[in-house]
Amino acid sequence: MMQSNNPPPEPIVNVAELLARVDNDAELLRELIAIFKVEFPRQLCALREAVGQGNLKNVQKTGHTLRGMLANLGTARGAAAAVRLERLEDSSDGAALKSALAFFESEVTDLLPELEACVAKARS
Amino acid sequence: MRILIADDDALSLRLLERTLERDGYEVTAVQNGRLAAEHLCRHDGPRLALLDWVMPELDGPAVCREVRRKREQVYVHMVLLTSKESKQDVIEGLESGADDYLIKPFDPAELKARLRTGLRILQLEDRLVEAREDMRFKATHDPLTGLFNRGLIMDLLSRELSRTYRENGCTTILLGDVDHFKNVNDTLGHIAGDEVLREVARRMVASVRSYDYVGRYGGEEFLVVLNNCDASEQLLRAEQIRRAIANVPVQTIQGPIPVTMSVGVLSSRDWGLRPVEELLQEADVALYKAKAAGRNCVKLASPHVPPNVLPQSLEEQPK
Repeated sequence: MMQSNNPPPEPIVNVAELLARVDNDAELLRELIAIFKVEFPRQLCALREAVGQGNLKNVQKTGHTLRGMLANLGTARGAAAAVRLERLEDSSDGAALKSALAFFESEVTDLLPELEACVAKARS
Repeated sequence: MRILIADDDALSLRLLERTLERDGYEVTAVQNGRLAAEHLCRHDGPRLALLDWVMPELDGPAVCREVRRKREQVYVHMVLLTSKESKQDVIEGLESGADDYLIKPFDPAELKARLRTGLRILQLEDRLVEAREDMRFKATHDPLTGLFNRGLIMDLLSRELSRTYRENGCTTILLGDVDHFKNVNDTLGHIAGDEVLREVARRMVASVRSYDYVGRYGGEEFLVVLNNCDASEQLLRAEQIRRAIANVPVQTIQGPIPVTMSVGVLSSRDWGLRPVEELLQEADVALYKAKAAGRNCVKLASPHVPPNVLPQSLEEQPK
């Protein structure tokens, strides 16, 4: 049987990193997830609007905010996708904006359940 | 230790806040740069700050610039939190007045270590300020009595007289000398003599208003500057000081010692515009008269010429 040389895909949430960030504090993690549930949809909405309008400045700004938020939650894949949005340079390239948005959305699809699963792993 | 954290990302702000609280910091958390600058520029504001780079209203570097411009007396240690990693960004952040920077997402251990570095710097600054204030105190105060020393009391007198002439007010100078002080030193020793001087100084300070000045002018000579003292009150105030010293003997290791003081009084209103040295000389003449009158009394300096009839050369601000 042939073995694949590709490394295993990076997890959506790096649990060990996230728990270290919150010092294994389940209560704090729950609090952060509650903030995330409010802030993330708001930022995502702003991002979609900026992409729809071809407003590169707002795409970069929202990408920057999302990058910080996701990085703090140990979600390197989501943060990397946000960096792609932050670094877009050509507002006339609507296809590139939409593609970067679609990639970002695909990277954060299952994020919330993954985060909630982490709470159980933290000390309560 | 109080610390201010500023970040427009609520999640990042809460994570920082909890991390720092757990480490014993008293945290003030704000979500924009304007509020951060307001807190940090207050005279009792936090002296340690973690500032996100990208923030609404005022970004992290702008906060640093504003704090450096407005809060010069006290040093604030500011750390920029940034996901900007280029050398140019780092240089820009540090040039704005930041002391350090941390790349986001922060590593909790690195964050704590860098803040401890900031604390060490602030503690060092505190020690330097304390040493400077201590040196300033020593340079301006008499070590035995804690009163203003001759240099400072003379400066204060000059300043007060200038103000008096400008505002057409009145300053009263009291020159007091402890009677027979040499006998105390010679018969009871210098330790008892020092105790006498310390107690005399304490009683003099207790006898004047908080905005009057008391200084040690010489060995057992004291200079009091009574600001805005009405001419009708000046002898009364001098008498109060004399009585405060004479009424109760000073307790020393050699037992209670009766102490008295002779006082020369001079009112700037009686003498008009004259150099400080001349006024002090006249106060000294009045003090000599008090000594000649049997000591333990107050004498007023009387002008030789009417006020405001002065040679032109003297009509200038006193030195």
